[in-house]
Amino acid sequence: MTNQKHDFPWVTIEDLAPDARFSLRVGEAGRDRAGLTLGLSLPTGVSNVVRHGERAVVCLGPDEWLVTAPEGERDAIVEAFATIYDQTPHSLVEISDRELTYRITGPAAFTLMTIGCPRDLSRLTPGRAVRTVFDGATVILWRDAEDAFRLDVWRSFAPHVRDLLDTGRAELAAGL
Amino acid sequence: MSTYRVSGKGRVNRGETVRFTFDGTSYEGYRGDTIASALLAHGVHLMGRSFKYHRPRGPVAAGTEEPNALVGTSRGKGRFEPNTRATAQELRRGLTVESQNKWPNLKFDVGGINDRMYMLFSAGFYYKTFMWPRSFWDRVYEPIIRAAAGLGRPPEDLDPDRYASRYLHTDLLVVGAGPAGIAAALAAARAGAEVTLMDEHAEMGGSLLSDPDVTIEGAPAWEWLATQLAELDRLGVRRMTRTTAIGYYHQNMVGLCEKLTDHLDDVPADAPRERMWRVRANRVVLAQGALEKPLVFDGNDRPGVMLAGAAQTYLNRYGVKVGDRAVIVTSHDSAYYAAFDLADAGTRIAAIVDTRDTPRDDLAQEAKRRGIDLLAGHTVTGTSGRLRVKSVRVARVSGGKVTDGRAVACDCLLMCGGWTPSLHLFSHTKGTLKFDDALQAFLPDYSAEDCHIAGAGRGLWGYEATLSDGNAAGVAAAVALGHEAQESRIEVQGDRPGTGVTHKELPTDGQPGRARAFVDFQNDVTAKDIRLAVREGMRSIEHVKRYTTNGMATDQGKMSNINGLMIASDAVGKAPPQVGLTTFRPPYTPTTFGTFAGYHRGGHFEVTRKTPIDAWAESHGAAFEPVSLWRRAWYFPKAGEDMDAAVARECAATRNSVGIFDASTLGKIEVQGPDAVEFMNRMYTNPWTKLGIGRARYGLLLGEDGFIRDDGVIGRLAQDLFHVTTTTGGAARVLTMMEDYLQTEWPDLDVWLTSTTEQWATIALNGPNARRVLEPLVEGQDMSAEAFPHMSVAECRVAGFPARLFRISFTGELGFEINVPARHGLALWEALMKSGAQYDICPYGTETMHVLRAEKGFIIVGQDTDGTVTPGDANLSWAVGKKKPDFVGMRSLARPDLVAPGRKQLVGLMTGDGKVKLEEGAQIVADPNQPKPMKMLGHVTSSYYSAALGRHFAMALIEGGHEMEGREVYVPMPDGNHAAKITTTAFYDPEGERLKV
Repeated sequence: MTNQKHDFPWVTIEDLAPDARFSLRVGEAGRDRAGLTLGLSLPTGVSNVVRHGERAVVCLGPDEWLVTAPEGERDAIVEAFATIYDQTPHSLVEISDRELTYRITGPAAFTLMTIGCPRDLSRLTPGRAVRTVFDGATVILWRDAEDAFRLDVWRSFAPHVRDLLDTGRAELAAGL
Repeated sequence: MSTYRVSGKGRVNRGETVRFTFDGTSYEGYRGDTIASALLAHGVHLMGRSFKYHRPRGPVAAGTEEPNALVGTSRGKGRFEPNTRATAQELRRGLTVESQNKWPNLKFDVGGINDRMYMLFSAGFYYKTFMWPRSFWDRVYEPIIRAAAGLGRPPEDLDPDRYASRYLHTDLLVVGAGPAGIAAALAAARAGAEVTLMDEHAEMGGSLLSDPDVTIEGAPAWEWLATQLAELDRLGVRRMTRTTAIGYYHQNMVGLCEKLTDHLDDVPADAPRERMWRVRANRVVLAQGALEKPLVFDGNDRPGVMLAGAAQTYLNRYGVKVGDRAVIVTSHDSAYYAAFDLADAGTRIAAIVDTRDTPRDDLAQEAKRRGIDLLAGHTVTGTSGRLRVKSVRVARVSGGKVTDGRAVACDCLLMCGGWTPSLHLFSHTKGTLKFDDALQAFLPDYSAEDCHIAGAGRGLWGYEATLSDGNAAGVAAAVALGHEAQESRIEVQGDRPGTGVTHKELPTDGQPGRARAFVDFQNDVTAKDIRLAVREGMRSIEHVKRYTTNGMATDQGKMSNINGLMIASDAVGKAPPQVGLTTFRPPYTPTTFGTFAGYHRGGHFEVTRKTPIDAWAESHGAAFEPVSLWRRAWYFPKAGEDMDAAVARECAATRNSVGIFDASTLGKIEVQGPDAVEFMNRMYTNPWTKLGIGRARYGLLLGEDGFIRDDGVIGRLAQDLFHVTTTTGGAARVLTMMEDYLQTEWPDLDVWLTSTTEQWATIALNGPNARRVLEPLVEGQDMSAEAFPHMSVAECRVAGFPARLFRISFTGELGFEINVPARHGLALWEALMKSGAQYDICPYGTETMHVLRAEKGFIIVGQDTDGTVTPGDANLSWAVGKKKPDFVGMRSLARPDLVAPGRKQLVGLMTGDGKVKLEEGAQIVADPNQPKPMKMLGHVTSSYYSAALGRHFAMALIEGGHEMEGREVYVPMPDGNHAAKITTTAFYDPEGERLKV
């Protein structure tokens, strides 16, 4: 789903419509049960992503996962986790509105990411995601494909990040 | 086209001429020329005046180490740059160049009077001359000295250019693309390493660009070079030109400055001028080469006197001969080759003056073959010529005596005092240097980083040696990176090896005290200055440097440091390493501020966080104030209102009917888990166990030291779920502090923390009509006072949106705070405005919020507290659970100094008639007539006009304030002392009657 689209042959930046998003925190004992509740096996190892249908879960820390799902599945996820709370204590916090998401695609997408992200992005292989910084703002950076990235940015930091992405795109267009 | 261009020589593109101006005169050069090479092609050596003595100066070098030929350049309005190095700046069409430090013009400069009075301007001149009277220093001497000092004029317009930055990760970064760097990059790339090779010049090749006649692996140098560069490209090596490694930081982080557009005739739209690369390299090869040293003798700074290697570069790389009749003076073999190249190109070599007694045989033969007069065991003792050298005085040195001096006519004097390995970047890493007695040079010793140093940078000389060493460094780097590779020797025919000796200032038959023998050209420091500094007590090179300013110019002593050290060590009577070498610091060459700032300028200087309701505030004329990174609506002035009027109106409207406030910036943290209540008990001073579900409480957070860190209202939504709010500025800090305790002190607790600050938009409604505005929009919650009393929280729907609804008050009025998912914040605001229209609902900003809370004596953490205020000091003892076993800061609250009398405590302050607004921050004294310095009792923390009270009021932190109620104190302000009475801080509705609705 795309609200707004700016085209440039080498890189495209899009605002994505919101998903249902949750921060899931659960200890090792409850990990399997929590995964089962989502219909998948929670990934272990930071940056690993597991997908199930339209749901995706990325491991952000030893007891921390980011869950994304279509908006229509939001209530079902909340209810399912409520029913397991007593046996499997955890924290499921909805953060659908906390971040905005940009998608950056095209042959120059990788280069555009290097203007703001200090990580060695060649090590972020397609299909994985990490919490990192982009121009000083905390972001979740997803690498969906070789030349396709997504940035989840806290809502109030998003315009700043977007501004640099636009500047970078113009810079790439200038060819220098 | 120009007299000094040599046909068939150089790498400039003769098919493309480029016009530029120098001091208003139009010149023509070729594409590929620098300003210096193009001017030299026209016989122009005079390019500037020196810093202190205003002596005429021309280029002495041919690269970025140039100390003399610094010029102002302009690319149009706002694009003026002072101190551009004419030897490095490439020509571009329409380039405007002006000389510096001259008036009225370059050839006749009034400031040149300084040169005649040079005996007055010795080292330490400022300190010795301008001592009395002391009071003159600040207002007379220093301003005059500052006005006279400096080179070039600073730019006056805002820089209109863009600057960029990128991060780069690479297996191997090779700094310097001369023979050693190219060999290293090739060896590593062939072994399979991923390599980045960079060089500050417009094209790669380094010294090979100035030495086309050597034969490498059977091919002429330039042909070999082209082949290697092509192979590098084939192997996928990232090659960067016009890129300077400016600094070498921890863990192989190297900063590169890439110049992108200064050489272009037409700059593409949106193109950045320069780009900062922050490179993280697994291995680094430093192949920075060596810098040629001048010789130190009287008159060694005249236009036409330059480094022999520079003359060779101008000839071979740019096709420009620097003169028709040259004298070479050298202490190193390398200058012979320069002499031979020049002689072969038609410059008459009047003499080679070698300071050594026995020149190398083959070189002497070559000189003889060309008919060059070789004067071994000679020195030069002076030069003549005002704007260009006309002659040089040469003399024999034997047994320490200088005899038989005679003048030799010339139009250029080419000097070589040997070569200094370039170790600036290595020095940035805090790698240690070792003095090599044979070479009389500092060489790299211990390295703190994963780096290799290759070629002339570690004292090697000759192409076969440096190429092979580069190959070895590349192999070593590749092996360290896990590749397999074998070293190989790179064979060179017609090599130009060489050795030399290092001198202090050259011996002279003149008066040493009158010699103008320059060591540091850019700062006009002479050998005499350095000796004077030592005589006056400076022993360490660091002191000599600061006293004389030797090496303190923007070139950081690239040419002067070693000569300065040799002279100082001779004067001190100790070996050079005992006198020391000064530390090099980044950047390697002067770098624009723009490159360091990168994208962070103008609107992108820093993040400006805005709430979902910000757009409404902006379109309704709000004035904004920054609060941490946020911009918040400050007040909403109506036509003709100033801030005071707007705030008074907003306060009255809220107290009389209803006000609406965007509180979205408040920090919010979800605390969830079976141990949530235990965690809350340990973090906050208040007891939480008995707080019912659906109830809220004011929470106070201390540091381990017992001082107030943060506060906020906390609601209990379920047995195991708390909705914590923090101050706007404290949000990130509080979450970090909580996580810190949770992870390091109490990892056994089953509780998790999640920031929801930006998940929710928060709107506060306050005033007697608040319920009437809100109630029609609420579904799923009985809003009556009985069902939903003060300090309640509920999950319900407001205006159709899922909401967390609090009944709380930061104003003393009936109040609600409605949290809805952020995307609905603006829609909720508009729904409330609509519902409140019949009650004249009034949007208010942070200023009104501050006034209304102050009227109730509620504190703002960070305004009424300063990190040394305890709950007791701030009248908040009621918020501290007396029966709790522990909480963060509890033990500190019993420390002797935290219970001692005389602590600064928060009180109210009322001036007599209420017409005076005390200044926030104003000091408070007990008696304004006491002798100075007066005893300060405390200071005003908050001060406002209260529409409800009809007067000004203030809060203050005062020593022992709680015991001083009713006492009079004095507040000195610019307009005089104001008496004020100490009161409680419950200014308005002290009984809280207005909440009971």
